[in-house]
Amino acid sequence: MRIVVCVKQVPGSSEAKIDPETKRIVREGVKAVMNPFDAYALEEAVRIKERLGGEVIALTMGPPRADIALREAISVGADSGILLSDRAFGGSDTWATSYALSKAVRKIGGVDLVICGKQAIDGDTAQVGPGMAAHLGWAQATYVMAIPEVGEKEFLAKRMHEDGWDLCRIRFPAVLTVVKDINRPRVPTLKGRLAAQKVEIPTWTAQDVGAEADKIGLEGSPTRVVKAEPPAARNKATL
Amino acid sequence: MRHHIENKIYHVEILPPKQETEKLEVDLEAFAVKFRRVMESGYCACVTDNAMGNLAFQGTEMIEELGLEPREDLVMIHLNTFHTKEALDEILETCVAKGIRNLLVISGDGSDRLPRLQPLDIGAKGVEAVTSVELLRYIAERHPGFFHLGVAFNPYEPEEHEFGKMERKIAAGAEFIITQPVIGLHPVVERLLAKYPQVPVIVEAWMSKKLDLLSEAVGYEISPGTPYDPIENLKSLHSIYPHCGVYLSLLGFKTQYDLVKDCWK
Repeated sequence: MRIVVCVKQVPGSSEAKIDPETKRIVREGVKAVMNPFDAYALEEAVRIKERLGGEVIALTMGPPRADIALREAISVGADSGILLSDRAFGGSDTWATSYALSKAVRKIGGVDLVICGKQAIDGDTAQVGPGMAAHLGWAQATYVMAIPEVGEKEFLAKRMHEDGWDLCRIRFPAVLTVVKDINRPRVPTLKGRLAAQKVEIPTWTAQDVGAEADKIGLEGSPTRVVKAEPPAARNKATL
Repeated sequence: MRHHIENKIYHVEILPPKQETEKLEVDLEAFAVKFRRVMESGYCACVTDNAMGNLAFQGTEMIEELGLEPREDLVMIHLNTFHTKEALDEILETCVAKGIRNLLVISGDGSDRLPRLQPLDIGAKGVEAVTSVELLRYIAERHPGFFHLGVAFNPYEPEEHEFGKMERKIAAGAEFIITQPVIGLHPVVERLLAKYPQVPVIVEAWMSKKLDLLSEAVGYEISPGTPYDPIENLKSLHSIYPHCGVYLSLLGFKTQYDLVKDCWK
C-alpha cells in the first residue's frame, strides 16, 4: 500500500494576518506550524501502514522552509517527504494547488491512497482534497471519521455528516479527507525527530512534475479575492 | 529516599526540551549539560513528564538518545497518566535497563495531544479514570520491588480531600512524598509530617524569583513583582523542616546552582 499524505504549513492560528494589498495571508516572519488536521491524516496513514505494510509519503507545496512540515511528518512515521516548490506555483488557489499536487502524485506513481486533513486552518476551504480527486479522476470520500476495513482492492470509509454518518465502500485508488475524530495523532519521539532532521528531502519543480504553466500560479487560478476584512466587532451581550 | 535526606542530596528538577522547540540541538545540549552537572554534584536529577501539559520529550528517551549516564540512585523520572500503555511500558523498561529506580508517579496535567491511560489498559477495576493511585499499583505489580515510588502532595488543595488521596497513594505503594512548592512554614505540611512520620517527605523549594508563576499551583493570585528571595526561602525550609529533603524547581543553573550547596548545613 502506497499512501501519500498532503500536509501544509500554516501560520500559527493566533498569528494569521491578511495583506491588505494582495488580500493573501502573510506568511513571512510568522511562525509556521503543520496544519493541525493534517496530523490526523498522517496518523491514519501510518496506522494503515503499520497494519498492512507499505509506505507513507508526505507531500507538501510551499516555499523551501516548508520542508519543516515534511520533517515533522517523517518524525511521526512517514517514510519520506517530497517538497513541491517553485516560484511558478506562487499565487495558486485551491484548484491550481490541487492540480500541482495531483501531478506530483502521478509522478510518484503506484499510489493507492491520498489522505488529506479535511481543510487547512488558514484558507478553511476544504477544497484541495476533492480538487485532487477531480484532477486525478479518482474516487473520493470527505469528512472521514473512521476507516473500519482496508482490503486489497477497496476499503470502507465512515463519513461524518451534520446529523450522523454513512459508510461507503470505495475502490482504490482514492482520495480521502479526514476529520479529527478519526484518531489521536501520536507525539514524535526524540529518536524520530532526530532521524527526521537527517533525511534528504527532494524538491520538485513545476517542470519536474510536468505541470502546465497556465494551470498553476495566478494564471491557473480562477479564484479572485475581491475583498478581505475581519468581521465586525460584536456588541457585548449577556446570555 | 531516606538516605538522600541523610546525605543532603538535593533533588534538582530538569525540564526536557519542549516538542515545539525550534532549536532542538541547543536545547538538547543544555539538558545534557545540566544533567551531567547534577550527576557530578552528587545530587538527584529529577526529569519532568510533560510538565504543565506542555508537550516535551520524555526523560528516558533523553537519557538514552543523548547517551547520558545516570549515577545509581541519582535520577528520578516523573511519570504521569498521559501515555499509551505501550509508551508507559517502554518508559518502565528503559528505567529498568538504565538502573533508574526512583519514579515520581503523578496524575499529570495532560493535553489534548496526549492519550490518557484507560483503566482497562492497566487492569484497574472499579474506577472511571486512571490516577496516580492506579498507576502506582500497576508499576508495583509489573516490576515488583524494583522501583522506589514517590507521589505528590498539594497543601493548597482542600485539606481533607488531599489527605484522603494520600492515604490511597500510600496504600497503593507510595514510599516517599514530594510537596508542591512551599514558602516558609505551612501548617498543612506540618500535618503531613505528623501523620506520616515514617515516610520520607521532600519539600519543594520554588527557585524562580517570579513568585507570581506559582499562582496556578497555589490556587490564588500572586501579583507580579511580589518580592521573593528563593535562596532565603531555601534556607528557611532547611531550618523549618530539618528532617525533610528538598526538591529545587526552576533552579537557575547559571546564577543559583553554586549557591545552594552552602544552604544545607
